[in-house]
Amino acid sequence: MTQTAQEWLEKIRALPLKRRTRIMNVCGGHERSITLAGIRSALPKTIELIAGPGCPVCVCPEEDVYQAIQLSLQRDVILVAFGDMLRVPVNVAKGEIRSLEQAKASGADIRPISSPREAVRIARENPERSVVFFAAGFETTTAPVAAMMLEGIPDNLSVLLSARRTWPAVAMLLDSDTPGFDGLVAPGHVSTIMGPEEWLFVVEKHHIPTAVAGFMPVSLLAAMYSVLRQLFEGERFLDNCYPELVRPGGNQTAQNKISQAMHVTDANWRGIGMISDSGFELNPLFAQHDARVKFPDLDTAGRKRAGQMPPGCECASVVLGKINPNECKIYGRACTPKSPVGPCMVSDEGACRIWWSAGVRTNAAEIQPLEA
Amino acid sequence: MQILEIEGFDAHCSAKGVTRDVSLFLLQGEPLAVGDFVMVHVGYAIQKMNAQEARSAWEVHDEMLAAEAGGA
Repeated sequence: MTQTAQEWLEKIRALPLKRRTRIMNVCGGHERSITLAGIRSALPKTIELIAGPGCPVCVCPEEDVYQAIQLSLQRDVILVAFGDMLRVPVNVAKGEIRSLEQAKASGADIRPISSPREAVRIARENPERSVVFFAAGFETTTAPVAAMMLEGIPDNLSVLLSARRTWPAVAMLLDSDTPGFDGLVAPGHVSTIMGPEEWLFVVEKHHIPTAVAGFMPVSLLAAMYSVLRQLFEGERFLDNCYPELVRPGGNQTAQNKISQAMHVTDANWRGIGMISDSGFELNPLFAQHDARVKFPDLDTAGRKRAGQMPPGCECASVVLGKINPNECKIYGRACTPKSPVGPCMVSDEGACRIWWSAGVRTNAAEIQPLEA
Repeated sequence: MQILEIEGFDAHCSAKGVTRDVSLFLLQGEPLAVGDFVMVHVGYAIQKMNAQEARSAWEVHDEMLAAEAGGA
């Protein structure tokens, strides 16, 4: 029987849960739906919804953004990137160019795109120019980038790849002393590509209830109900609350395309550090299209504070679900979408930007507790 | 998005009055036809959508318990 979002909500409210329960999501799309639909305030107060590592732009290494900026400034290239990458700031001295947007304003040829197919089109329309696609994303975006490589990539198009895998960040949290959550809502589109089985380790190794969800409130609430009831009944399994798209094994063609174009490697997450097997690197077959191979001599050495978040910015703690966005000291003060300090306030998938979009304007430090 | 036309790995799709050219490259091997719905991400169809609604394994569990109770 099909249930409505309201019915799932009532089933959640009917569960006799006394203890504080923290459910983490690891998808910017999930966080956006949860926040914009007001699901947090509709749930019982004992249930805390945490935004975890679900924003690829937020964790894209600062060095990669800096390299993209320098490529656009030092070489006669057309640099293309997904739009929300353009305003991500790097750590440079005051007065220096600190984002792709500023580089563009100073004359660099930088073009926002919404699909790898646009990168191909721009390369074909400009055969005399070198085009670099700065490609950051999780598996859902990595598969289309792989498809672009394999479909017949133009000679003048290269890729600065910052692709990341979602589950290793969750594994890192779970292997730490303070994972910070009791249940997991697993990402719908990542699971569509990679298969829901990638999340079995959360259940089997860590005994944490997990459910894959789609992006509508009805699917998210079904997944939350599943996780909460698993906690209540003492059962543990991986539930799939997004059968519309998520099939056992995922999209095998997409997985094959990824492995034809790329291989898994250890990767750096901005402000967090290296995570084993958490990224992708282009295969040697595509070396002539690898911007890291093609432009090895960019002057990126001798930088101060390379790799870090900007001063005062707590994006790394937000990304890992250690604090809520408005618990960052500069949220809504020095850092707003109009003048973002950290990447979480820039990207549409960043938790700070999402909370701000939903009307959260007040820093937690300014909110008076209702009762002791 | 709903598929309006297919030519090789390219499809013309529409959703809510907006039309887009979409690559079917990642759905090779999936039988697709005009009228099917696909989930599109950054210009690529990543999966064919089926009619199943959001649900939890707990529903199946509860339905089985109810059926057992009814049959007892």
